[in-house]
Amino acid sequence: MPQSAPRRRGGVPGFLHAIFSNRLIILLALPGAVLIFLLKYVPMFGIVVAFEDFRADTGFLSPWVGFDNFRLLFGSPVLWRIIRNTISLNVLFIIVTTIFSVGMALMLNELAHPLFKKLTQSIMYLPFFMSWTVVAMLLYGFFDFESGMINSVIKLFGASPVSFYDKPDWWPAILTILRVWKGTGSGCILYLAVLVGIDFQLYEAAEIDGASRWQRLRFISLPLLTPTIILVTLLAIGRIFYGDFGMIYTVVGDNALLYPTTDVIDTYIIRALTTTTNFGMSTAVGLSQSVLGFICVFGSNWIVKKWSQRRGEDYSLF
Amino acid sequence: MKYTKLSDKLFVAFNYVFVTIFTLLCFLPFYVMVISSLTDKNVLQVDGYTLWPRKFSIEAYQWVLKGKQVLTGYQVSVFVTIVGTLLSVVLMSGVAYALSAKKFPWRSQLSFYVYFTMIFSGGLIPWFITCRAFGLYDNIWALIVPMLMNPWWIFILRNYFNGLPSEIMESAVIDGASDWTVLSRIILPLSTPVLATTALFVAVAYWNDWWHGVILLDFADFRPLQVLILRIINSIRAIRQAMAMEGGSSIAISSAQIPAKSIRMAIVVITIGPIILLYPFVQRYFIKGLTVGSVKG
Repeated sequence: MPQSAPRRRGGVPGFLHAIFSNRLIILLALPGAVLIFLLKYVPMFGIVVAFEDFRADTGFLSPWVGFDNFRLLFGSPVLWRIIRNTISLNVLFIIVTTIFSVGMALMLNELAHPLFKKLTQSIMYLPFFMSWTVVAMLLYGFFDFESGMINSVIKLFGASPVSFYDKPDWWPAILTILRVWKGTGSGCILYLAVLVGIDFQLYEAAEIDGASRWQRLRFISLPLLTPTIILVTLLAIGRIFYGDFGMIYTVVGDNALLYPTTDVIDTYIIRALTTTTNFGMSTAVGLSQSVLGFICVFGSNWIVKKWSQRRGEDYSLF
Repeated sequence: MKYTKLSDKLFVAFNYVFVTIFTLLCFLPFYVMVISSLTDKNVLQVDGYTLWPRKFSIEAYQWVLKGKQVLTGYQVSVFVTIVGTLLSVVLMSGVAYALSAKKFPWRSQLSFYVYFTMIFSGGLIPWFITCRAFGLYDNIWALIVPMLMNPWWIFILRNYFNGLPSEIMESAVIDGASDWTVLSRIILPLSTPVLATTALFVAVAYWNDWWHGVILLDFADFRPLQVLILRIINSIRAIRQAMAMEGGSSIAISSAQIPAKSIRMAIVVITIGPIILLYPFVQRYFIKGLTVGSVKG
């Protein structure tokens, strides 16, 4: 570009010029960006409620209590129960659903029959599209003490019916099974896409060298899937302090008998909202959740970065 | 070699068997549900769930479709889904477009602005207070607006836009095309796969949403379908629990309040109906589309 007389492009005139020449882009992005501000950033200011003794009549200007809400919170056994449930359930879910999703992808990849593959994949994807309310209704049809499917079969054999909704110890397993049923069809897709992209010649060479299908899976498919598995797991770990509220609230319901193993941080906060007890405390819980989640995302990303860099790769997100 | 062939055969057989079983497990609940909804309600009560109607009856559907609640619920769900999906895709694409336009000087700031909301939030209570403050309470927009912006999809859209061939756009710009021309004549036509995929997943999210109907609706006299189902299942569970505690003496009275099985199943079938009906047509987008934003670009 020819050097003409110096043009002031910095400062306000430069800024205005940039806005003008990008006016269409800004126009298109503005409504969405404003909505994000209003509904995701404005609530962040509401965090002050965690430090207040919030009353409905005084609203945001309620008396300031500093960390009192947190002190009360961390002293209460309820908090430890909900944190423990949230984390342990999520860890269980991550491990089991990953095993099933990866396993299903590997299995589908081994199938040769294209019509069978397509049909089964379509049907397996079906549970994903059902809302948890529908699943809750179906599950009730299964578990109902009087006339549910399971108890009908049990009664046929002369045994006495089982009540499912008062046995907290069974529910981590039940919830995990539900997650697998609902999530495998959609969860295996990403892994399948990676597997499909693997160079066919790698398998051919292995086959020529005498490797069985199982060996080819173990030494080619699985290692090449590892980065994706790590990525997905990393994303999941970032959400480890967020309970699967959608499932628990609908499928378990507000069942005090099952709180010991199914009450998570989110259900606790919802109870506070619907019974309008202590907004200050519940906001404190929510804030703790956000902060812990934030630390988790960065922490897990850092760990994976260090670990993968030692192997000469970088599997981290950012 | 022989050993390998046998273990290979077993391996493949195992795969087919497992996949078949799992697929059946995914299919059966829905099948039984549809069959139950078409079974005469007394037969259903006595015989339980079966694989074929012992006595065929569409009475459940007649009953359900007469009721005001279900009809209203349907209207609410349809309206919220259509309006929500359209608005959401348009608004999110706008942001994604800005994130991918190379000439846009504030791309990285905008990217962080959007990304940050994925890893940190103010929490439920502040969000609730904010929604109420903005009037997103007890009206139909409470079901639409809060779900409009989803950072995940914004990034999927952005990744796709990034993957579009820039040479076409660059040469168009050299030929004097404006931003609008590039957008409407090059980017949009090329983006139909990702837009369709996004629209479909967003539509499913809106259709299945019960959360906003539970939290943000109070005195409003309408509820989306999913909330109706939730209410039914909650009241059933509450009644059953009460019955269990009282020892069954009030069974006769309480049972009458619980909607018959066939009716429950009919409501569920109606609720998942649209998704199932559209399923064969949009199926190809779902499977392909999920990887469209990630593998490309």
